[in-house]
Amino acid sequence: MTNNSNNSQVCYQCGTCIAICPVRRVVKFSPRVAIYDSNIYDTDTDVWDCLTCGQCVTACPQGVRLLDFFLDQRIGGEPRDIVHKGVFTELADLMTQLGNSKTTLLKGDDTAGIGYFPGCVDFHDMFFDLDMDFGEIATSSVTLLSKAGLSPKIMQLKCCGHDQLWQGNQEMFDKLKEENTRLINESGIDTLVVSCAECYRTFLMDYDLDCEVKHISQVLADADLGITNGSATAAIHDACRLGRHTGEYDAPRKAIAATGANIVEMQHTKENALCCGVSSMMNCNDHTKALRVLRMDEAKRTGADVLITSCPKCLAHLNCLKEEEDSEHGHDYPFEVLDLTVYLARKLGGGNGGDGGDGDE
Amino acid sequence: MVVFEPKIVMFCCNWCSYAGADLVGVGRLQYPTNTRVIRVMCSSRIQPTFILQALKDGADGVLVTGCHIGDCHYIDGNVYTEERMKNVVDAMKLLGLEGRVHLEWVSASEGPKFRETVTEFVEQIRALGLSPLRAE
Repeated sequence: MTNNSNNSQVCYQCGTCIAICPVRRVVKFSPRVAIYDSNIYDTDTDVWDCLTCGQCVTACPQGVRLLDFFLDQRIGGEPRDIVHKGVFTELADLMTQLGNSKTTLLKGDDTAGIGYFPGCVDFHDMFFDLDMDFGEIATSSVTLLSKAGLSPKIMQLKCCGHDQLWQGNQEMFDKLKEENTRLINESGIDTLVVSCAECYRTFLMDYDLDCEVKHISQVLADADLGITNGSATAAIHDACRLGRHTGEYDAPRKAIAATGANIVEMQHTKENALCCGVSSMMNCNDHTKALRVLRMDEAKRTGADVLITSCPKCLAHLNCLKEEEDSEHGHDYPFEVLDLTVYLARKLGGGNGGDGGDGDE
Repeated sequence: MVVFEPKIVMFCCNWCSYAGADLVGVGRLQYPTNTRVIRVMCSSRIQPTFILQALKDGADGVLVTGCHIGDCHYIDGNVYTEERMKNVVDAMKLLGLEGRVHLEWVSASEGPKFRETVTEFVEQIRALGLSPLRAE
């Protein structure tokens, strides 16, 4: 199956993508060879090693849409190395079959024209062994939206299907897409706000929605939250789904800068930002852990107090490394890794630090 | 009217609960036959995925049993189980399958408790009815 935007035939095999590919730093993997093999021999060499971070797309002189190429190659294939024993895939599968399944227990303003979807953060709380509260992302987002005067309706959607799509499971993705599109259309909202970069990419680019889709950072960048006590030095990790996939680099920076924080840029930033090492719940292994170490070391070198990202997956993986390194190897990272919304909401509440908001249950 | 007979997948750990089930058999205690017992070496072997898979494949309920905390043959395996099962039970609330997954500690000497646990769980599932995943 090939979608129209896959233009891998125009690749002239220069190898620029190999030079920039972060995976190439740790595994013998080559986007160039993957394209060559698929066009010449019709094989799907290596496509599961790709982290779909999109650095090659920004570097390619021919404008090859490598992300669409990798997606095409994956559809219908057998994914390799799905993390957490595939529990999130099972959950998504159950959601397609259970009409009244939910992703959150939060309650909002049901008459609002703006809808907020927290994504699967509550499930992250349940199935990641981390000492952090993902549910706080959802509660913080609602607090911030209310503060901005946009009391949202909480959308009870199914999983957006991002991971299933990139794991090559088109069938399950189509089911989720159909169900979610129906739910969104029925709800009558005109703007869908999401706090997860992966949800944002999926709703914006892979769904055909009538309503506007916004990442929460885009809403908060234009809102006046009245936070002035954010004197921290903040480094920003651009999530690939929000940055290179959808082109939004400035909104998170603007939202953070409005609080009075000093933003420092890491060595690789914006369109050159390094990958957190895991996407679509695949390839969490020793190789990609090396990429996380590279990223965290860059953040450490900036001297920032806090590393801010806008994707729960980046957050989970960077924090996973931080917890492990802090406790076992004494190789400490003297900064917090926080989600954008959590950072802002804690400042809003007077910077209470600690584990803040009381959760998701 | 035909009484609904639920299908229940039951995980028993090798060292306590499975021996407990044996004790029920040896003692000739009667209990409902709705459970399909799967023996695992330790209750911490049971990944959340197993439970989701069991429900997906048509189980009306999943009962997980293991050694009491402190009695685990592998020292602290069941501590992990407790944490995981708490999360799975929470996930069930979101999925709309509340009450279909249950964790109980049953030791090798607790034959009557094994019987009670199974009987109660079968009644609980019977009251909940057919799993929405089977109805389709």
